[in-house]
Amino acid sequence: MQHFQEIEHTADWAFRAQGRDLAHLFANAARGLFELQGSTGTGETTTVREVAASGKDHETLLVNWLNELLYLQETQQETYSRFEILEISDTHLRARVHGHPNRPEGKLIKAVTFHGLEIRHSENGLQATIVVDV
Amino acid sequence: MVQVSQHLWEIPRSFRDDMRVPARLYADEALLDAALGDRSLDQLVNTATLPGIVKYAIAMPDIHQGYGFPIGGVVATRLPEGIISPGGVGYDINCGVRLLASEASVQEVSPFLAELASILYRNCPSGVGVHGEIKLQDAELDKVLVDGARWARERGYARAEDLQHTEEFGAMPGADPEYVSHKARERGRSQIGTLGAGNHFIEVDRVAEVFDETAAEHLRLLPDQVVVQIHCGSRGFGHQVCEDYVARFQTTVRDYGIELPDRELVCAPFESVEGQQYAHAMACAANFAFANRQVLAHRIRRSFEQALDGKVSSFDLHQVYDIAHNMAKIEEHEVGGQRMRLCVHRKGATRAFGPRSPGLPDDQRNIGQPVLIPGSMGTESYVLVGTHGSMEQTFGSTCHGAGRVWSRMRAKKTVRGQQLRQELESRGIAVRTGSMPGLAEEAPQAYKDVSRVVDVVARAGIGKKVARLEPIAVIKG
Repeated sequence: MQHFQEIEHTADWAFRAQGRDLAHLFANAARGLFELQGSTGTGETTTVREVAASGKDHETLLVNWLNELLYLQETQQETYSRFEILEISDTHLRARVHGHPNRPEGKLIKAVTFHGLEIRHSENGLQATIVVDV
Repeated sequence: MVQVSQHLWEIPRSFRDDMRVPARLYADEALLDAALGDRSLDQLVNTATLPGIVKYAIAMPDIHQGYGFPIGGVVATRLPEGIISPGGVGYDINCGVRLLASEASVQEVSPFLAELASILYRNCPSGVGVHGEIKLQDAELDKVLVDGARWARERGYARAEDLQHTEEFGAMPGADPEYVSHKARERGRSQIGTLGAGNHFIEVDRVAEVFDETAAEHLRLLPDQVVVQIHCGSRGFGHQVCEDYVARFQTTVRDYGIELPDRELVCAPFESVEGQQYAHAMACAANFAFANRQVLAHRIRRSFEQALDGKVSSFDLHQVYDIAHNMAKIEEHEVGGQRMRLCVHRKGATRAFGPRSPGLPDDQRNIGQPVLIPGSMGTESYVLVGTHGSMEQTFGSTCHGAGRVWSRMRAKKTVRGQQLRQELESRGIAVRTGSMPGLAEEAPQAYKDVSRVVDVVARAGIGKKVARLEPIAVIKG
């Protein structure tokens, strides 16, 4: 299964993430977020951070999770490439993210939006189309 | 779609059951085709469903697809029952443009242009998340959030005339840092005086053409004069304020029984506790952006000194104006023969108040508010003034730029940053950038023709052309 795919959007960026279940979808969406910014997703990781997010439903939880990662990226000047979802419910998530100092090399994403966001069932499990502000 | 006049099209209320008002688009036929090429008109129709909206959901000729609201949209809601929407302002709250005009001519500056461009690039940090040399402790950050560019004046980064020539005189009223999250503070703390990335830039231009000599004289603009545009906003601080309230309002809309066609349109009644909290936080972000552009203006003045002192006899930069193009503001306008208090959302649209409107500085009152319309990178830009027509038709608003037509993905695939840089440099434009793919995404081919956009607003009477600018140096994140 391709974990994410960039799709056309006039002003900003959009990508479709897939996963066999909610935890897998959330981890793949996070990989997509960083790979779109030029992170290769490989190489040694030297920093580990615990991340928690909450939201009233799966979509809000997904947006808050990804925005939390962007917040860490910007304030800690780090790039993340491996995402372990330790716990996930309908409204909460706890994860461990692995990365390294330095920002991704490509163009950076400012924020993840709710635009047209819906987590849908697909043949491979779940998918979501995510529009980001760049 | 019905053609109302030569440059105005209307999608009637009957188009969709949930529309509260018709939607209107300013365009000629080519720009109409461009708008039909993506989902921007669907997004415009979605905004026509917002509670309290009056007259029309309006799209400017530079409209393009955004998220939630289209970029290039104006939505005014009637107070007290109307809503305020963080998505109607956008993530980069008070993204805007500032224009500084030098006493020097292009002939005087040209021999030192390469050095000037390099010094500007060095003195004005760029890129998302880049930190500047000013790191603010809490008490001083609060002053920035409340006082905006007035804070910069106290710190020696501004002249009195800079504040006079800034929308809201450099400080949005109603700012209250209590409604700003810890995260927004952390992101903003060290980003004052930084440019950011995306389509943000500093551009050195020459005045290539003057259309209205009286207005140009008021603005102290002359043919062949060197001018500088700054395009940026509230950086990570504004993004976080928007994120915080878009997430929070996901439940607020349910509490107020507001049904919406897109979750990014979430909103709250302006007078509600939640609506007021966002308005207070948004004003803080707006002031952060005014202060940010002010510090950049100071650095640009310093860069001119470093590059030109002893080489050019006079090069001082005065501020022509500073405008916001992502903002919601409380204004009074006439609707159906009645004066109404409105919350006017301009997302990718510019305030364009006509002559003798309130809120204009004394020396610009008779010509109308200056409007700064940057073109795409390497192409021309325009200085306009607001008109009586913009007051009557569009809540005192006009376009904000060229407007994208290509996705960033298509631009990246089609254009190579290095080649684009060479093309620009072969036309005598100095280019300084930290990111070649970023440069490619902003290629002129990815945008509409700004001259066509400006012609439409001028012919429709919602803006009057004063001057045309041509670039001589581009500094990008």
